Amino acid sequence: TQLLRAKPVPKRLGAPRRKKSEPHIASGLIKMIFSHYARMPVTRDTFKIVEKCSQRYFKQLSDDLEAYSSHARRKTVEMADLELLMRRQGLVTDKMPLHVLIERYLPLEYRKLLIPVAMSGNKVFPCE
Amino acid sequence: GRRRRMKRTAPRSTLRKIIKQHKPALRLAANADLLYESFLIFYFFPLLKVHLNFLLFLHRLAEEARTSAFENKSKIIKPEHTIAAAKVIKHFKY
Repeated sequence: TQLLRAKPVPKRLGAPRRKKSEPHIASGLIKMIFSHYARMPVTRDTFKIVEKCSQRYFKQLSDDLEAYSSHARRKTVEMADLELLMRRQGLVTDKMPLHVLIERYLPLEYRKLLIPVAMSGNKVFPCE
Repeated sequence: GRRRRMKRTAPRSTLRKIIKQHKPALRLAANADLLYESFLIFYFFPLLKVHLNFLLFLHRLAEEARTSAFENKSKIIKPEHTIAAAKVIKHFKY
């Protein structure tokens, strides 16, 4: 009987339900990416600021994407909108084409997807 | 070296949810009737580019924070360096 009594109560039953919060990028992921690029020690409090900045970044991004697609009289964000956005942000330039950024920043499986198909995509979708 | 490699999968559904939260009417190219290839281009790729943009944003923020830390002769990035960095890049505002 002692064994039975010692049996731990399943945690999930007792735990309060997680509040449905606003969607946000996992703090662990932000932390990992930021410290990877920072290449030097980062204090713990800093990550809170980084998270706040990220939230503001997404707000800005959403506004921009809406502006771009509605300018083209669309309700849907397309690839071209993001390329235009990155051009406006000064990330994509004549000397720094998008595919170089893709090669530099995205893992191989995404690169493979984005680069060859994006090229054939130009033929399929002349609107791009 | 021994440092753990950065996890690099894009949190696509989270990205979609975030944009949806800000702009409920805005859609990120979604049309399930399309052929597989077109489906990928319209549905999957814009989100990958959002992810790419987010990485570039964090890279720029980290670089600026690093610069700010160096300027203040700090060997560690503190919140104030990041706040200064955010002011410099203005969240990619133009």
